[in-house]
Amino acid sequence: MGARETLFAKRNPFATAETEDLFRKAMQENCRYHDAHCPEYHSILKDSGFSPDDLQTPSDLAKLPPLPTALFKRHHLTSMPAWRIPVKATSSGTKGHFSKVGLEFSALWNGLWMVLRMAHYRRLLSLRPVNYVILGYQPHKGNDMAVMKTAFGSTFFAPALHRCYALRYENGSYTADLEHVLECLQRFVKSGHPVRFMGFPSYTYFLLQLMENRSVRLQLPPGSRIMLGGGWKQFYREQVDKPALYALIRRVLGVEEEHVIEFFGAVEHPILYCDCPAHHFHVPVYSRVLIRDVRTLEPVPNGTPGLVNLMTPMIKATPLTSVMTDDLGILHDGSECPCGLRSPYLEIIGRVGLKEIRTCAAGAADILKGVSP
Amino acid sequence: MILANGSLYSSEQQGTLLADLERRINETRRSRKLPVGTVIQALDQMAVKLEQGCFDALIPEPELRDSVNFAAGLLHSNALLRRLRNELPALPPQQGRLQIRREPLGTLLHIAAGNMDALPAFSVIEGLLTGNINLLKLPQADKGLTVRFFQELLQIEPALTDYIYVFDTPSSDVSGMQQLAACSDGIIVWGGDAAVSAVRQLASPGCKLIEWGHRLGFCYISGWTDMDAALSDLAVHIITTRQLLCSSCQVIYLDTDNPADIMAFCEHFLPVLEQAAANVAADIGADAERTLRRYTAKLERILSGDTPQEQRVLQGKGCSVTACTDRALELSEMFGNVLVKPLPRTDLLSVLRESKGYLQTAGLICPAEQREALTDLLIRSGVNRIMTPGGMSGTFPCEAHDGEYPLQRYTRIVNILQ
Repeated sequence: MGARETLFAKRNPFATAETEDLFRKAMQENCRYHDAHCPEYHSILKDSGFSPDDLQTPSDLAKLPPLPTALFKRHHLTSMPAWRIPVKATSSGTKGHFSKVGLEFSALWNGLWMVLRMAHYRRLLSLRPVNYVILGYQPHKGNDMAVMKTAFGSTFFAPALHRCYALRYENGSYTADLEHVLECLQRFVKSGHPVRFMGFPSYTYFLLQLMENRSVRLQLPPGSRIMLGGGWKQFYREQVDKPALYALIRRVLGVEEEHVIEFFGAVEHPILYCDCPAHHFHVPVYSRVLIRDVRTLEPVPNGTPGLVNLMTPMIKATPLTSVMTDDLGILHDGSECPCGLRSPYLEIIGRVGLKEIRTCAAGAADILKGVSP
Repeated sequence: MILANGSLYSSEQQGTLLADLERRINETRRSRKLPVGTVIQALDQMAVKLEQGCFDALIPEPELRDSVNFAAGLLHSNALLRRLRNELPALPPQQGRLQIRREPLGTLLHIAAGNMDALPAFSVIEGLLTGNINLLKLPQADKGLTVRFFQELLQIEPALTDYIYVFDTPSSDVSGMQQLAACSDGIIVWGGDAAVSAVRQLASPGCKLIEWGHRLGFCYISGWTDMDAALSDLAVHIITTRQLLCSSCQVIYLDTDNPADIMAFCEHFLPVLEQAAANVAADIGADAERTLRRYTAKLERILSGDTPQEQRVLQGKGCSVTACTDRALELSEMFGNVLVKPLPRTDLLSVLRESKGYLQTAGLICPAEQREALTDLLIRSGVNRIMTPGGMSGTFPCEAHDGEYPLQRYTRIVNILQ
């Protein structure tokens, strides 16, 4: 059994301190694999003067060149022939470009264990049938978006009676239909089975606002859960602070804050981050986070904001070993969280970029808008 | 929001208004002329209103108040009259039976960029001063300031009603844009290459195009050892304009071919630039964006197999100086990150000619006795503004815009044989 399999078989998904060297070893194996199978990855390592053999101690992981997510949007990077890649996922493409990422069988197998462990941690696994309200995309075979697949996957934590979608696929396109969701929800409440919400925080917020404006107050049956995931995307401006959202959920749906669970993940880092009861994203054993200085890219100590570099040895189909997101974040010491987990937790504080810049220098606007490299 | 016939309409009514536009314009042009005195008087009153702060509610940023007062200064009758005198000097008197007269171009379509709040209004004001009917397509970033400005102006002078139309047509509405273009004798476009190219597609061959495109500024330095005051001015210019203006310095050219000179200059200039940047608050989002862009570009070069440009970045606090080996006039990373390149004066003209569509402002630092010769060389290379480093982005009365007086472009010379 390889280091990756040992790592993903760990019973405690937050034992990061105990698995530092195992993680390093799994990363070395993964890096070696991509170095041998992905010519582009090989040339980046070679040009940076880095060899997988250089990963001798956990602190060496900082020397591994991270690939920016933008690179996956412009290049199709792969370490396996297409026939070995059963699952292909794309990002939602906030700026019109999207990443194409493949997952091979062994990654999916490891991923399945990861999802079950994380779901177990938040007590989401149940045999009791539930009704699902998916505030996201209805699956169809032309849609490879990872958020859709994650949302659909989450409807298997407990047996599904019904699934109702906010973004329905009709006549070749998606339309948002919150009225339809509201009708279903009222029916679900009458049935007495627990209800599980899954989807974008923005849609959840819009739906609850709509209900509150119409003075619709429901009491979801006991055992109901609100799961949030997929980020705020184009609704950045509508972003509400989390306590306000939890209060709205309690008022309108009668669900307590401890039953609101948020997920975090990215197509370029398909590790399931699940918040703790204090709503912090602790780093699971499958992943490591490095925050890098916004000017020098050197790692910064915990508590300092910087660029978020995510690492995982989970995937062999695509060189996602170490990726640099365009998020700004802070890694906090686990001891700062009251939930008891000792693993550090990641806080996303925003995105790179400039606000409201006006320019008449030739070519500048395109660069500042992120249209050209 | 649309402003037409002196009233406000919702964007949905654009179709109806456009269908009737040509008829309304023709009716105005057939029946009357716009006396320049009427325009000047109205604008003068507007200047007073601006100075009294009647727009302050729409301009929340206190740091922009100075710009409002500056703008008001440009609208006072004495400033306008001076401008008309300078830009539209007297024409030759009647030559025998031939009369020579200056007349408005007719109908102007202004396609304004969103990079300056007051720009759309100023473009139309120039059209009014020359007696034209003005159709303005608002930039998407406009927050209502422009419409508010013209509403106020029309209240002061209702006679201007048929000379100002403001549309919020998005550039993507090709049919709407084509209808606006079809009504026009000239199209004035402000913006980058994409905006200018789009307008060239839009205009019919007979339509006059007046393009105020984006430009790249630079500074030319020949001998800098005793030039600390000038270098300090240049540093302040780079930091205060954030290198976002057409006239902002992107590249510092040194009159040398020796890489050691470039490096020596960079080392000398970095602390000067740092001092100018000392009071600028760090913007973590901007820094991160630039770092990530540099890093991604480096990996892209590896993947494409291009040999990387040989350059060294001297990183300072809140700014940087990059020593380059190539000579291209190009956009810097802005926000206090300037490029330094070798360019011996013998090659100056040929290198600048490669950027001929983008030349505008050059700062010049050199010994006094060489100033005239280098100024001349820059002019022959196609540069239109040769300034001191501190004045690169300054505005001056009677100044031309990209080598031209705009008011001349908005008029035509008419001959009548008697």
